[in-house]
Parts: sequence; structure tokens; C-alpha cells
Amino acid sequence: MTDSFGGIVVEGLARSFGPVQAIRTIDFQAPPGEVTALIGSNGSGKTTLMLILASLLAPDSGTVRVAGFDPVVHPAEVRRRVGWMPDTLGTWESLTASEVLRTVGALYGMSPADRSRRADELLRTVNLTEFGRQAARVLSRGQQQRLSLARALIHDPEVLLLDEPASGLDPGSRLELRTLLRSLAAAGKTVVVSSHVLSELDEIADRAVFVSRGHSVKTQTLDEAGSQLRRYYVQAQPMSALADTLRSQEIRFETRGDSRREEFLVQLGSTAEASWLLRTLVLAGVVVTAFAPAGGALEETYMSLDTDRL
Amino acid sequence: MSTAAPSLMPRTGPAVTTLPFWSAVRTVFVLETRQRLRGKGWYWMLGIWFVVIGFVFVLTSAYSDNTPNEGGMLFDLVVGFVLGFGLLVAPGLSANAVNGDRAGGTLAILQVTLLTPGQLLMGKWLASWVGSLAFLVLSTPFIFWALALGGVGGAVASVSLLMLAVQLGVVCALGVAVSAIAGRPLFSIVTTYMLVALLTVGTVIVFALSAALVTEQRSITTSSYNPPESALREDGTLDETVEWECYTQTYVTDVAHTEYIAWVLAANPFVVVADAVPYTYEEPEEAPPVQGFAYTGGTYYAPGVMEGVSQLVRQSQAGPDLEVTCEEALQGMRPLQQETPIWPLGLGLQVLLAVALLLLARRRLTMPAMRLPQGTRIA
Repeated sequence: MTDSFGGIVVEGLARSFGPVQAIRTIDFQAPPGEVTALIGSNGSGKTTLMLILASLLAPDSGTVRVAGFDPVVHPAEVRRRVGWMPDTLGTWESLTASEVLRTVGALYGMSPADRSRRADELLRTVNLTEFGRQAARVLSRGQQQRLSLARALIHDPEVLLLDEPASGLDPGSRLELRTLLRSLAAAGKTVVVSSHVLSELDEIADRAVFVSRGHSVKTQTLDEAGSQLRRYYVQAQPMSALADTLRSQEIRFETRGDSRREEFLVQLGSTAEASWLLRTLVLAGVVVTAFAPAGGALEETYMSLDTDRL
Repeated sequence: MSTAAPSLMPRTGPAVTTLPFWSAVRTVFVLETRQRLRGKGWYWMLGIWFVVIGFVFVLTSAYSDNTPNEGGMLFDLVVGFVLGFGLLVAPGLSANAVNGDRAGGTLAILQVTLLTPGQLLMGKWLASWVGSLAFLVLSTPFIFWALALGGVGGAVASVSLLMLAVQLGVVCALGVAVSAIAGRPLFSIVTTYMLVALLTVGTVIVFALSAALVTEQRSITTSSYNPPESALREDGTLDETVEWECYTQTYVTDVAHTEYIAWVLAANPFVVVADAVPYTYEEPEEAPPVQGFAYTGGTYYAPGVMEGVSQLVRQSQAGPDLEVTCEEALQGMRPLQQETPIWPLGLGLQVLLAVALLLLARRRLTMPAMRLPQGTRIA
């Protein structure tokens, strides 16, 4: 029933809704003490997976262990250990932020003293203390998102499932979210984050699971992602000198089409290769004004999978 | 999100997997009631209710100023009115309790906690019941007014109010259950109204239609006192000195044996309330001896709305009277005494329906879900 691994282990998961096969086969692992990113396009089955992990949806087949428990057989054990932040913002609008947290705390069996202390702490953590006494309907989208995060944390769960936690957050809040998630992982929690903002995940996640059309297509750690084939963009003054040098080194390049500035894209196998190219360019007298990875490591993987984007 | 990260503190609270039943129910109840008290809709409904019921009450009391038993009539009217309007209000308060939360995205948040579906439904039901009882409480000024006019026994008043409260509870239970079963609030509210209509109007229609099934040709005998032909003078006026005689006639006609189908009416909320109330009836002084036309037929008996319902039910329970003697005719319209109370059957049927729906609702709310209702999302 339980296993020493804790965290989340999913094997051969499948789930359909009538004729729609939302999840075909997903294998997924999220170890404790790490932030695991769940990446996939819209409708790839991310939210369905989250619902199964949160014990709201039963899988058709496959095994699921959350913190060592099967959500179908022992839902209460799972619920006690899991904090879930849904992608939809639902809140009791006429309740104050503090009341929302204390109500949910009560429903996790916390004593009145515990839940009000915890609610106050979490409101401070998500910078909503000043809204603690105001109805939740006055909160902006980003503030509601933060309240939702605090709600998911109220019972100090071992496993945290965050569905698109960063959407609607301003840059400052994103930074704080990142810090918070890293500190939760450092405290040994299992953190699963789904998001479209891949550059965001680059800096939070330790590992990533890519899902596409209901399949888990790739699992990689960020270290692996960093050492893979990557594209860099290069700018120089003038661009013609750069083009000449690249041609002489027999490095293929293309003009980046999706940017305002004129820049070249080159594909390089590793960071060593990148530093070699930069040194070569500089030594050849090219005035390099920009030299950087074209996207985050996860974005590179996502684009290279290239499976079901329109 | 300060970097102080107090969320890293050690586990708070006891590691439980079940909540004490009533404490969880209370949490849901408080959650629901708090929202209701902070919204505007409920107060508007209460205000409109008070105005309408006040209007009807004042109007009726103005018209019935000199009728005997005014207090009883008015009390009966208020009870009937509160029941009728309560049946309209209660679905509105209860029938979006669960799927309204689903639409608002808050149901799933409750479902991932340790709250069980039974606790959720119980809390929502109690909250909507208490919410609708406020309408009953708001009617108390008129009830007390009617009571102050006299003529209503304490038992009648308390049983009437108790049964009203019970009926509101039944309708709220139906509403909450349907709201968990049906996907959309609009659909569940309409469905609950249909269920209420089934109980109030449907039972009467079924009763009326099935009367044909129990109708047979029987010979019946009726009797009445009439002036004999000899009393008729040639100029067409009556000779007042001639004594009236008992005339009996027997004929064959269609008779509906309503005693076989009276139970159909049992689950009707009006019947449940009216049948449960122990209406008192003061035996009138002995009917005056038959002398000429001094006697015009029976003592005066005018039941109020609810008491009338109670009488109709008792009549149909008794079935047709195949032989009316002159003595019976003399007594005129007398209230029928209760033979077999029908309301326990009716309330039993209602509770059975509500419990069956609530069990279905509980299954629907049990997570993890195997199948979802068409067109719904969990979150």
C-alpha cells in the first residue's frame, strides 16, 4: 500500500470521458524534495492528470500512488496529504480571505486555534494580510490566485499540486511564487506545477514531464535539458561580418523571423560549443552585441517534441 | 509571498482522516449561511414575501370582519398561504446548493478536503431549511394576529406550524438532492419545481383521473325533508301549517369509490399539513325540532382553507354515502371526524422520495468519480 518513495508515482494511466480519450498512457514520477513541471499543450491531459492525483477523478486503468496511497482506495489519506490549486478560480466571494482559509482548515480537521494561526501566516506569506478582512470578491485575479495558493497550503500538505499557478500573477508575485515553491521543495515537499510559461518553469523545476495528446512523451531533469542541443541567437554590428564568419566556420544559421531585431539563430550541441563559438567570433573581430540561448531549456525540449501544436 | 516562508513550519493540527460528523456539517452550514446573509437576494425575497402575505392578510381580514370564527379562518388562510408560497420559495433556496457551487468552482475545493458527501449534503440541507424557515418566522406577526382574534386552539396552531416547517424541510431536501444530481442550476431548479408540482397538483390530477377506475353503477338512496304536495296552495304559495315530510328516493347512478384511491392524495403537502392538524369542532346545540320551514337544513359549518382540505380528504377516505337517511339530512353539513390519519403515509412517501434522491446525490458526489454527468467539469 505505502511505499518509501512518497511523492507521486503514476504508471500506465488511462482515462477517457465518453468518446474523448483524455489520457491514453501516462507514466509520471514526482519525487519528494523536488519541483516537477508538467508541460503540455492545451487539452493534452494535464488537468485531467491533476484531478486524478487530487483524488477527484478515478482512472480507467493504471496505478497511481500519491504520498504512498492509492487515491481511489484511500481518498481520505491522499486528501489529508495533498494540497490542490485548481486552474479555475473558484472562491466564496462574500467570505473574507481569512474566512476562506479558516473554513478550509476546519474541513481538514484543524483546531480553531491552529487554523486561524495558520491562516494568518499564509496570508502574510502570499502578501494578502491587508485583504484578510475584506470580501474575496474585491481581490484581483492575481490576488485570488495567491489566495488559492494559500488555501492549498492550509493543512501543510506533503504533496502540492498546482495547476497553472503563475497565470495572472504580476512579475513580482511570480518571483515570490518561485521562491516559495523552491523553499517548499527544500523542506521535502513534493511539488507538481503545470504551466505554459516555460521560461518560468526553467527556473523553478528540477524535472519536467512532457505530455502530449494524453501520452507522457518525455521526462527529463533540468540538468539533462541544459546539456541538450540548443539554439542560440546572435547579434553583431554589422550583421554581415557575423554572417561571413559563421560561413567560414561552416556553421549553419538562419535569420530569426519572429523578432523585431535582426538576429541569427544557430544550433549548438552544448554549452562548451557555445563558448567556443563566442570566443571564435570575438577573436575574428566580429562586434558581438548579443549572444544568448534562444529559449529556455524546457522550451527547447517542448519545441523539439513538436507533436501536436497547431 | 515573503521569503520568510513560515509554511515550512512543522505539521499543524492532528493528522486525521475523518471529521466529526456534526462539526463538519456545522462548517458547511456556517459557510452557506454566511454567504446567504451577506448576499442581497435572500433579503429581497423576504421583503417581497412579507409585503405579499401582509397584503393578502389585511385584505382578507377586512372582508371577513363579521364572519363567525374570523380568527380561525384567517389563521387557516395564513397557514395555507405560507405553505403555498413556501413551496415556491424553498426550491429557490435549495435547488442550486450543490451545482451552483460546481458552477462557481467551489465544489471541488470542498471535495478535496476531508468533508464527506453526506456531511456536505446534510450541511447544505440544514442551511437551506433554516433559510426557508425564516419565511415562516416572518409570517408570525400575521399568525399571532389571527390567533389574537381567537377561535384557534393551541394544538391546532402548534401542529400547523410544525407541519409547515416539516414540509419546507422536505422540499429543501428534494432541492438539495436534485441540485447534486443535475448538472446545471437552472435544470435542477425547474426539476425541483416539477417535483413540488407533482406532489401538489399531480396527486390531485392522478386522484381525479383514477376516480374513473373506481367508479361503478350503484343504487343510492337519498332522503330529505320537503313540504308535501298538499301544502301547495292553488295560488302557488306554501301552506305553512302543513308539516314537512321525509321523502326518500332510490336511483341508480355512477358512484366513485374514492376510499380506494384516497391514499393518492396523501403525499400532497397541503393534505399532509391539513390532515395532521387536530381541528376542533364544537358540537352545535341540538338541531331545532322540525317545525314547518323553521328549519332550513343543518347547522352552519364553515371550514377555512386548510380545514376544508382536511374535510375533502376525509370525505374521499369515507367514500360515497350510499344511503342518506332523513336524520342525516337533518344534521346538515357536519364535519367528518378523522377515521384513519393519512398524513403519516404522505409524509412517509415524501421522506422516502427525498431519501432516495439524497442517496443518489451522495453517490454522485463521491469522489474520485468514475463517470461525470454529461457536460460537467469537476473544476
